[in-house]
Amino acid sequence: MAVSSSVKRVYSSSVFGVAVILATMCAVMAVLTNKFLTETNIVSVVRQFSFISIMAIGQCMVIITGGIDLSVGSVFAFSSVISAMSLAAGAPLAASLLVGAACGMAFGLVNGILITRVKLPPFISTLGIMSVARGLSYAVTSGFPVNIKSADYAFLGQGQIAGVPVPVLLLVALAAIASAFLGRTVLGRRIYALGGNEEAARVSGVDIDRVKVIVYVLCGALAAIAGIATASRLGVAQSTAGMGYELDSIAAVIIGGASVKGGTGTISGTIIGASIMGVLRNALVLLSVSAYWQQAIIGFVIILAVSMDQLRNMAKA
Amino acid sequence: MRKVLVMVAVALAVFGAAAYGQGAAAAGKKLVIAVVPKSLNNPVFLESKTGAEAAAKELGNVEILFTGSPDPDSSAQVSIVEGLIEKGVDGILIACNLAEALQPVIDKAVAAGIVVATYDSDSPKSKRAFYVGSNNYDFGRVSAQRMNKLLPKGGKVAVLTGIVGIANLEERIKGFKETLDKDITLYPIQTGEDDIQKSVEVVNQFTAANPDMSAWWFDGGWPFIANPSALTELSKFVKRGGKVVSVDSLYPMLQYLELGMADVLIGQNMYACGLQGVKNIANIVKGGKPPAEMIWTDMEIVTKDNVKAVKAGKKPW
Repeated sequence: MAVSSSVKRVYSSSVFGVAVILATMCAVMAVLTNKFLTETNIVSVVRQFSFISIMAIGQCMVIITGGIDLSVGSVFAFSSVISAMSLAAGAPLAASLLVGAACGMAFGLVNGILITRVKLPPFISTLGIMSVARGLSYAVTSGFPVNIKSADYAFLGQGQIAGVPVPVLLLVALAAIASAFLGRTVLGRRIYALGGNEEAARVSGVDIDRVKVIVYVLCGALAAIAGIATASRLGVAQSTAGMGYELDSIAAVIIGGASVKGGTGTISGTIIGASIMGVLRNALVLLSVSAYWQQAIIGFVIILAVSMDQLRNMAKA
Repeated sequence: MRKVLVMVAVALAVFGAAAYGQGAAAAGKKLVIAVVPKSLNNPVFLESKTGAEAAAKELGNVEILFTGSPDPDSSAQVSIVEGLIEKGVDGILIACNLAEALQPVIDKAVAAGIVVATYDSDSPKSKRAFYVGSNNYDFGRVSAQRMNKLLPKGGKVAVLTGIVGIANLEERIKGFKETLDKDITLYPIQTGEDDIQKSVEVVNQFTAANPDMSAWWFDGGWPFIANPSALTELSKFVKRGGKVVSVDSLYPMLQYLELGMADVLIGQNMYACGLQGVKNIANIVKGGKPPAEMIWTDMEIVTKDNVKAVKAGKKPW
């Protein structure tokens, strides 16, 4: 009961702050340009951040346990490449999707085992896997992009249902499942418990290693889904896809109110965090900001957003 | 952390190169010529490998060793060249990531009796025998000449670049700006961050946000690696008379000419770089006269008029 109410308190407070920041950014953009609130633009922005958001859901769970997963960008590439290659080799649609997801889960499992059994720090284990998965993507493709010719496969990233892009629906579904999983299941609460205080969780009988392995497997699976959806969106899977996306996903989680120390973080906050970055990138394009200034502005806004949220939390405490 | 990865990658590359080279030496008195691209993850360089291998086949007694670092990293390239000196190859054809960084190791290789030449990106102050390739400034210049023809009444042109601050792209932009007619103006430069998904979204969003735009110039072919179905806004743009000129003429890009979604593609002739580079190195190794210091390869200019012939001459991806 006490755990549940404290989780709820963190939940409502952290999400509220970033939601206000997002709403403010949208309002400012709507005033600055009449191009922001058009249907085409909103669909484009939402679809763009849906890929990073799907990946960030997994990253969020990992960060709640106090870990980090640097391999997601490479796993994103490897899974999509393998999935597209198996499709090209004649595998049925479902099989090619499952093979891709299985690749993600396999890398997650390796991360989980290295972290729990070999006791590698998550930073090192996932850094190594980042290199391995990227390297294997180059090796299996020799650097060439893999074309996706199946219209059914393309539907996953390019299709729309009732005007809403399929990857966005996929994100909503996955976010709802992940939110319910974290908030309402025993395993989900254990993830928070172990991030809050690993030793206390261990003493109270939580099988810490098992929980961690599950979390990294889920993170790998979500990175794979994001990779497959992106490849489907572009009609091509490439070994260089997803470079630097690990940092985007970590930033989304942290902007969304999670702590790198573990124990806090929410799926809704994470998705708002990803939205903030998506709206920001879109704003720079719509306002024709020169590429030479964009990076500095992105960094500045991220720091501003997180600082404002932090100050608000300090004032409340 | 990057250094550790680079060191591992280099160790593997050198080990692989050494193992391969020993095999070649055992096979007879073949010349071993190493071809070192900027990175293994850029498919542009794969055509230089095809060209080098064609030269080797023609010459009959040459073995090609295509080796490089996974990412474009000059310190990794230095280590690779050091490994090649250790191994005692006969020639090295290298695309330098950074002219100054590669200069000492190129000079060291030359001192060790290896014939070194550069392609794609030169190291002009080094003791390399010759450079083969095109001039990045010329890519911009020729792009602008084509743009001037496409926009006889002037207009406003958007520019998509990869990563800002990269020397070869900045050279292209310089050549473009300096050759454009006075009645053509530019929007602030946009970036796709060397990422295909980001490039596609930036092109879509920027096109939708600027209805009075006359043309796009891509200083590299990123958006055109994706499937045309991903570039919905660009497709509307060309239907209302918008023009598109892009650097690079890779196989998947050619379909955009056929679809009328691009007007001119201007490619580097990487095949010629590999072919002429290896032929001339082999000639010098055998005691022949060195060629001119700068060997300029043709630019491959593709429009809808010659796309069929160009496509027939390229290996499908």
